[in-house]
Amino acid sequence: MKDQWTDRLSEYVDGELAASERTALEAHLTACAGCRTTLDALRRVVARAQALDDRPPTADLWPAIAQQIGVVRRAVRGRPARRRFSFTVPQLAAASVALALLSGSAAWLIMRRGMVAPPAVGATDTAPLLVNASASASDRRYATQVADIERALERGRGQLDTVTVRIIEKNLGIIDRAIRDARSALTADPGNAYLNLHLAQEMRRKLELLRQAATLAGARS
Amino acid sequence: MELTTAGVATLRRDPDQAATGRDAETADAALAAAGDGRAFERLYRAHVARVHSLVRRMIGPDHADDIAQDVFVRAWTKLSTFRGEAAFGTWLHRLAVNVILARRSTIGTERSRYDHAEDSLDDVAGRPSAPELSMDFEEAIGRLPDGARQVFVLHDVEGYRHEEIADMLGIVPGTSKSQLHHARMALRRHLER
Repeated sequence: MKDQWTDRLSEYVDGELAASERTALEAHLTACAGCRTTLDALRRVVARAQALDDRPPTADLWPAIAQQIGVVRRAVRGRPARRRFSFTVPQLAAASVALALLSGSAAWLIMRRGMVAPPAVGATDTAPLLVNASASASDRRYATQVADIERALERGRGQLDTVTVRIIEKNLGIIDRAIRDARSALTADPGNAYLNLHLAQEMRRKLELLRQAATLAGARS
Repeated sequence: MELTTAGVATLRRDPDQAATGRDAETADAALAAAGDGRAFERLYRAHVARVHSLVRRMIGPDHADDIAQDVFVRAWTKLSTFRGEAAFGTWLHRLAVNVILARRSTIGTERSRYDHAEDSLDDVAGRPSAPELSMDFEEAIGRLPDGARQVFVLHDVEGYRHEEIADMLGIVPGTSKSQLHHARMALRRHLER
């Protein structure tokens, strides 16, 4: 059954009626069972809509997207994250591109943990070398890399618009905070593999962001 | 329609992301804007279900993969316009809506967009008391006329306001309210079956 108020019930549900209309409708509801039933049903519809689950596509769309935007899919997918830093020669070969990006941070990590590692990241000569260098030496090496890129970025800073600079600075702040947190946690638990990996990832992320920003600044100069 | 973050709906379904998660996505967006494909893949994996579901509900399942893919390709090319003022998911969602609305006309979903005929809405409930014809709620949404379905999805599922919906669809807010009520009434009959 439909009356003059039926078509206003959705607005009532959404709280969009004027105060005078709301009062009049509420008075009507006390006497109209049909409108009360419809109102309850509309509320169930709204609740049902808000409870819908999102479902992913049946097929992964990423390969086609990656192809369209021209990014290379990672060579190794679906492999659980390794928490021990022991690499075989084939693994090193397969990961050479990634290792090149990891240059500063990975070297820092390896030396910090005093593990057996190749003499240089990305080098083809994989003869192991026991590294006993101090963490401070690797810290200096990483800091030097960061400083070099920051100087390059500073030279090209004028080529970037203020919004871009703001985003870069904001994200560098986020990453620096993550690095500080990880270092702080590692002082209490130096052998924690997860924390070491997390720290290395954040350091790599900082280097990547700085390099990309410097490249962007250079490209616009 | 210009893609901005100003005036973006307060999305009821927007995940209540922890600050760290949002910061991580903002950082990934910055990395992706600088060409980092891995950062963009992380964003894709975090949001593909929501984007695909939005497309499926707004357009239907036939073109959902194609359009969802287009959304992410467009996002990649427009990342430089993401200013971090809103959550990345909100920005992406608005972009997705724009892509979907732009694609409507090319796939023929303009027909009967704002058909007020009760008969077509009655179809949503299906033939009464026929269990073999029962459908889930998503399918019932899919059987709404295009205009009513789009308003219903944008308002009740995604949380946009009538003024925003009217702006997106090129209609007046009153039409949006009317379409929403028709859609709810039709879906009410579906739930009562």
